[in-house]
Amino acid sequence: MSGKGNQSPSDGDYVNYSHGLASLLESSGIKPGDRIRISYKGREIEGELMPKPEIGDSDVLVVKLDNGYNFGISYKKAKISLVSTSKGTISFPKASVKNHGGLPKVTMIYTGGTIGSRLDYKTGGVYMLAKPEELLYEVPEISELADMDVVPLMSVASEDMSYLEWKRIAEEAAKAANSGSTGIVITHGTDTMHYTSAALSFMLDGIGVPVVLTGAQRSSDRGSSDAFMNLFCSVAYAAKSNISGVGICMHASSSDDKCMFIRGTKARKMHTSRRDAFRPINDLPLAFIDSKGVVSPNPAASVGAAGERPRNFKPKLGFEGKTALVKIFPNSDPEVLEFYIGRGYKGIILEGTGLGHLPVSTPHKEFNWLAKVKSAVDSGAIVGITSQCIYGRTNSNVYRNLRLLSNTGAIHCGDMTPETAFVKLGWLLGNHKREEVPALLGKNLVGEINERIRYDQFLV
Amino acid sequence: MQIDYKGIGFKCGLEIHQRLATSTKLFCSCPNVSPSDREIARVERQQRAVAGELGSTDRSSKFEESKKRRFVYVVPSETSCLVELDEEPPHEVSKEAVEIALSVARGLGMEIFDELEPMRKEVVDGSDTSAFQRTIMIGMNGEIEVNGMRIAIPFASLEEESSGIIENNDEYALYDISRLGVPLIEVDTSPDIPSPAAAKDVALHIGTLLRLTGKVQRGIGSIRQDVNVSIRGGSRVEIKGLQEVGVISEYIENEVKRQLALVEIMAVLKSRKASVGNPKDVTSVFSGTASQLIKRSLSSGGRVIGMPLYKFEGIIGRELGEGRRLGTEISEYAKMAGVKGIIHGDEDLKGYGITEGELASLHKSLGIKKGDSFILIAAQEAQARKAAGLAASRAEMAMTVVPPETRAAINDDRHLTRFMRPLPGGSRMYPETDARPIQITKALLDKADLSKPQLEKEFSALKKQLGSEKLASEMIMSPRLQLYREILSSTKVEPSTLANVLLQKFTELKRNGYDADSIGAEKLAHVFGAYSSKRITKQAIEELLKRLSSGGEKNVDMLISDGLERFSREKVISIIKSEFKSERPEFLKKAIMSKYRLNIDGETLESVTSCL
Repeated sequence: MSGKGNQSPSDGDYVNYSHGLASLLESSGIKPGDRIRISYKGREIEGELMPKPEIGDSDVLVVKLDNGYNFGISYKKAKISLVSTSKGTISFPKASVKNHGGLPKVTMIYTGGTIGSRLDYKTGGVYMLAKPEELLYEVPEISELADMDVVPLMSVASEDMSYLEWKRIAEEAAKAANSGSTGIVITHGTDTMHYTSAALSFMLDGIGVPVVLTGAQRSSDRGSSDAFMNLFCSVAYAAKSNISGVGICMHASSSDDKCMFIRGTKARKMHTSRRDAFRPINDLPLAFIDSKGVVSPNPAASVGAAGERPRNFKPKLGFEGKTALVKIFPNSDPEVLEFYIGRGYKGIILEGTGLGHLPVSTPHKEFNWLAKVKSAVDSGAIVGITSQCIYGRTNSNVYRNLRLLSNTGAIHCGDMTPETAFVKLGWLLGNHKREEVPALLGKNLVGEINERIRYDQFLV
Repeated sequence: MQIDYKGIGFKCGLEIHQRLATSTKLFCSCPNVSPSDREIARVERQQRAVAGELGSTDRSSKFEESKKRRFVYVVPSETSCLVELDEEPPHEVSKEAVEIALSVARGLGMEIFDELEPMRKEVVDGSDTSAFQRTIMIGMNGEIEVNGMRIAIPFASLEEESSGIIENNDEYALYDISRLGVPLIEVDTSPDIPSPAAAKDVALHIGTLLRLTGKVQRGIGSIRQDVNVSIRGGSRVEIKGLQEVGVISEYIENEVKRQLALVEIMAVLKSRKASVGNPKDVTSVFSGTASQLIKRSLSSGGRVIGMPLYKFEGIIGRELGEGRRLGTEISEYAKMAGVKGIIHGDEDLKGYGITEGELASLHKSLGIKKGDSFILIAAQEAQARKAAGLAASRAEMAMTVVPPETRAAINDDRHLTRFMRPLPGGSRMYPETDARPIQITKALLDKADLSKPQLEKEFSALKKQLGSEKLASEMIMSPRLQLYREILSSTKVEPSTLANVLLQKFTELKRNGYDADSIGAEKLAHVFGAYSSKRITKQAIEELLKRLSSGGEKNVDMLISDGLERFSREKVISIIKSEFKSERPEFLKKAIMSKYRLNIDGETLESVTSCL
């Protein structure tokens, strides 16, 4: 929520200040953080010059008064002089992970995102944590659950992630599992966390340990942040659960009482800002973890038996980057498929309507997708069809239009979310022969397709 | 006792907080109040200190402190959305609230800068779901003149109201978030108000200025006055929870007396070379005790912790205010540990069922002699020891300092205060990065200048309108001024009639147990509309107000048709002919009025009877 910039507070002294103001400050030898005196309408006000946020009038100086309040004043109306130079910014206390020893070893892989962002209390600038250990420092009680090993892998906001990052995360997780970790926690930005969780579900199939993705909807600089409980519950799950495999662990409700663990291929961010944004789709939570760290597997959820822990697990890291996710809507132009095929795309997931419809019997020819889908399939691309309903299963038989579509060779993707189907297709194309892919796309591999949707698996 | 305030180094400043009557809250689109609010959910949260500047040990201990308590929020259907629940970033600041705040700042003669910067002020008690309060400094360096005194107004801000507390115990605090985020103006004076009486005048003056904007909430809790008081040798004490400005000076005077008494106690203890001893387990002294209080604690596995207070005899029982002693204050500190209270040596111990023999062995056990005193705490051991530590800290302060504290007004006619918490250091503030800075344009300032509250101008207009200086000065100071204006703008009632009802009648009704202030402006306008269109008599106004203030949803028209209609001339004549034909002429008017006082106005009756 509060900014996602990856900007360090020391980036450039006069960032966002106008040229005129910046040169005035520079020539007076004043830098943000310095104490200055402002003469204004016959009065003098002292305060500390603040760095300028991205918004606001760039001719306006932002000054912090001794009472803690900031105000802005145009440099054209005031005389500014230096009182004393900055005593330096407040430094974050040295963070170190305190391990008690004798507890399960949990590896935390830090990738960035709100959960790893921190506020410079002085300036209000949000930047990524310099050291991921600082996150543990925020939640000291984690040291009661596990001996932590922290891996600062990258600092990438979730909207900036790609499959190249997924591969790096999967590699790191495999390395941790192979070096004896009982469980793995991956801190991640929330926006695309469900894409990453789906990708890791395929890449890390058979890893034999719990792999938990977690994040925060409120940055950890505020006392009300959800980061603390999310992290605590994730470590608890990673340390204690005997369910292996990938999932997301975040708030179960708006309250800070428990988190839930959702299968990595069945999770989706369903709210822009709430703590409990991640919900299981066509599935139930696999487990609940309360704020004291007690893990309760959900007896109603179907979980495969925990696999043997392999000796030297090798992740399947292949991924076809030329895979696209395309949304169908009224008036949508089927020529977009030609664009993708022309660019060498090997797989396309269409987010259809309802049961998995595309416009195929349109009164107006320019909106008809049938021929374009057929020629995409004929050219060798895999075309999968999902539903923008999100919940429920697609079908290729109920209506004539569905049958027409199915005859083109496009594959309906069962009850997979569009995001999971998209990730799965990319992964299949990266690890399997082209001819194996159509059959595998519609087949359940790692829990991504639920053959039996229960009544209570809707709006969970 | 006449106090020479200048002589004792009296310092006093006010912080006035006034809720605004805007159509939405400060940072979201929820209404400030709603009659159809109902509970739709409860959300439970935990908050922790996120102080980056603290050392790591501080940090964990602070966390230990905070993790015990949960915060539960009652979620109202109409006056909250995801913003109040800290589940959505703030919306754009309410322009309406900014305009009112600018208008007030101009009315206070303040400087307003080019850009207002929303800030977050850290709040740790759970009263804000986000763990901070959004606040914006509006202006600096203002000044007002009150009865010839010039009082500086160094600061004013526009901020969010906090949640209202419903229940508070060791495990959790229950809050109602319906008022969270309501815009609030804070106006601070400098600490140079010369006397308690002057403080009341200044508070009234600022309250009036705020009401003159016509955009403030009325009713209980809509305005709060916090007072800061200190004397030479004393300390700054902040008094919160003053509900009525009328008794502000009494509270200040009593705080001065309290500090004077504490300063005196300090001198006595110093000259006696008093000291506080170490707590000791004295349970064995009371093994066969007849004291119910101690017995009860021991039977549930508790212990008795005693603490010697050397050379304290007679001091713990010394009065600091009516019925409040130094012992009361020591007890209030001890209670922070969750104990019920303390027993001390200056009390009548027989009253607790403690015998002379027990007392003698207690003295022996604690090693105290004549002239010394002690404290006893009976509770579970850890709790009792914690309480003893807190009590010791207060007892030690009695020798060295008047503790800087936030104190709560006790709302009874003694006008005293009790300990709430130590005075917090400066709150940590940092920029609210989710909200934009507010550009102050010339157009905004011009608008503020046009609408700014101007006491003199308003007063002379009211004087003219009401034809009475007395009525005008009462009206301008009244919390019902806004109501007066609203009703006047929508009805044709004469101003003086309206003012008299709002001032005298309302007070009278209140005294008789009718809360006329609970009647909404719309209903009141309806009543006065009915009067000015001659549907009801003047006497019926009071009756209607009584019926309307007894609660419940009531329809004004229905109440009127239920026997409160004004009789026309013709109806009066026909009544006289039918019901009063045998009445002797000299008693006629009296007889009619005793039956139809509410329905017939004097003028009509006069004109009818004079023609008979």
